[in-house]
Amino acid sequence: MATDKSLRDTRLVFYKDDIESINAILDAFLKQSAAKCALLIDKDGHMVTSRGATKRIDLDTISALVAGSFAATREMARILGEEEFSALYHQGKSDNIQLSIVGDRALLTAIFDECTTVGMVRLYASEAAKRLAAIFRKKAQEAVAAGSTAGDGDATFRASTGPALDSLFGK
Amino acid sequence: MVQINFAHKEIQCKIVYYGPGMSGKTTNLELVHEKTPGEARGELTSIATTGERTLYFDYMPLDLGAIAGIRTKFQLYTVPGQIYYKSTRRLVLQGVDGIVFVADSSASKLEENRESMRDLEENLREMGRTVTDLPIIVQYNKRDLPDAMSLDELQKQVNVHNFPHFEAVAPTGQGVFPTLRALAALVLESVNRSGLGATRAPRPAAAPAAPASAAPAGAPTATPAPSARPAPSIAASPPPPPRPSGPPAYAPRTAVAASAPAYAPAYAPAYGPAATAVADAPVPRPAPAPAHALAPSASPAPGVAPRPASDRYVKVSGLGNGNGSGGGKFGMIAGLTALIAAAAWFALTQLGR
Repeated sequence: MATDKSLRDTRLVFYKDDIESINAILDAFLKQSAAKCALLIDKDGHMVTSRGATKRIDLDTISALVAGSFAATREMARILGEEEFSALYHQGKSDNIQLSIVGDRALLTAIFDECTTVGMVRLYASEAAKRLAAIFRKKAQEAVAAGSTAGDGDATFRASTGPALDSLFGK
Repeated sequence: MVQINFAHKEIQCKIVYYGPGMSGKTTNLELVHEKTPGEARGELTSIATTGERTLYFDYMPLDLGAIAGIRTKFQLYTVPGQIYYKSTRRLVLQGVDGIVFVADSSASKLEENRESMRDLEENLREMGRTVTDLPIIVQYNKRDLPDAMSLDELQKQVNVHNFPHFEAVAPTGQGVFPTLRALAALVLESVNRSGLGATRAPRPAAAPAAPASAAPAGAPTATPAPSARPAPSIAASPPPPPRPSGPPAYAPRTAVAASAPAYAPAYAPAYGPAATAVADAPVPRPAPAPAHALAPSASPAPGVAPRPASDRYVKVSGLGNGNGSGGGKFGMIAGLTALIAAAAWFALTQLGR
C-alpha cells in the first residue's frame, strides 16, 4: 500500500487526458469565481497548466516566484508549529494573487482583479483544489503501483540531446 | 523533480548553482542570460539585497527547444551563498535535478568552499538525498586571480567526491557555457534513463488491478520530502570587497566534446553515463548572439536603490537587520516574511506588464 509520503514524492507524468481533466476543473473555477486566470504549478516551480488570460504574464517566472513564496510560507508554518498554511493571498493595486495548496503536490494560483472578491475566489479555489487533489492522488497511486524502473532510456531522445545542446551552448 | 508533461510535450528540469558567498553563481547566470538568444531564455529575476547579494534566489528559464519532439526547458536558480542563509538554500534546493557547485579558486576562500560543500551534502541529506543521487558538476571560478590555487589542490581539498569539474572566469564567460552544457547533458541523460523511455510509450492501462497487461510507467525512485531544521537569523552581509581587475592570466582548459563530455568522470555516477555520440540532424536554432541587450527594468520597490535600467531585479532594502540574540525563531519568521513579500512583490509587478 502506497504511503502518503511516497504518493507525495513520486514524480507525476501528465498525459493529454490528465491535462484535459485539470483544464476542465480550472475552466469551471474561472467561470464561478470570475478570476482572470488560473495556473497550476507544482511545488518545484514547474508550470503544469494554465487557463484564462495568461498572454501578458511571464508564466515561467511567476511559477518560480509562487513556488518560492510558498516554500518560505511552509517553513514559516513549521516554525510556528503549524502543519502548513493552506492558502496565501497577495494583494496588489489592480491584480491580486490567491494561492491554494493542492494535495501537497501543487499550487492553484488564481489571479484576479476588482471584478470579483477574494472571498469568492477563495471559496471556489478551495473546491477546485479538492478536485485537483483527487486527480493528483490518483496519478500518484498509478505511478507508485507501476513501480520505479530505471532503464536504458529512449534512444531517439538520447541521439537528439547532443545536437540540441551544441546548438544552444556551442561545442 | 523533473516534470514530464506529454500533453504539452514538455520536460522541465531544475538546475541550481550552489557555492559559497561571492563565488560567482549569480555572475554565471548573468552571463548565460547575456549570451543566450532572447527566444531561448526568459527574464533573469533576482531577489537580492541593496548590496547586490542574493537574498533568496536568482532565477532564469532556459528553453533548449525540441529534443526528439519534446520541448525541453531548464529552470536555472542560484542560492545565496553566505553561511546564515542556510535554510533559504534548502528551500531553493527542493526538487533540484542537477547542481553546479561554483567554487572560488582563491586560496583565502578554501575553507568557505569546503564548508559550502559540506552544507550542500547536509541539505541534500535532510531532503533524503545524497550527492550521488543527482548530477553535480564543480566549477572552479576566478581562475584569473593571482592567488588562485592549483587545480590539483582544489580537487583534493574541495571536490572530495570527484565530480566532473571545469575551470572558469565567469565575468568573461570562460567556462560558463561548457559547465552548463555538461550538466544539462547529464541531467537529460538522467531523465532519459529514469523513466522517459518507458513513459514515452503509449499510456498504460488505467486499471492498476491489472499490472500484468500494462506497460510500466517507469516512475523513478521516490524522493522523500525535505525535513526542516531550525536555522540562524538572516543577517545583513557586508559590502563585497573589490575584485582584482585585468585579463585572465591563462586560457582555461574547458573543452567539452559535442556529445560526450571530455571530463570523463573518475567515478560512475548512479544516474547513468554521459550521452553517446550519435550523428543526427541538429535541431535548427539560431547561433548565439553577441552581448544581448536586456529589457528595461520595472520600477524598483519603495526604499530600494535603483539598478541600471538594463537589468531587471528586485531589491529589498533594510532586510537582514534581524536581532541575532533572542530572535532565533522570530528572526527566521521575519526573514521568511521578507522573502515572501519580495517574491510576491515581483510576481505582482509581472502581472502589470
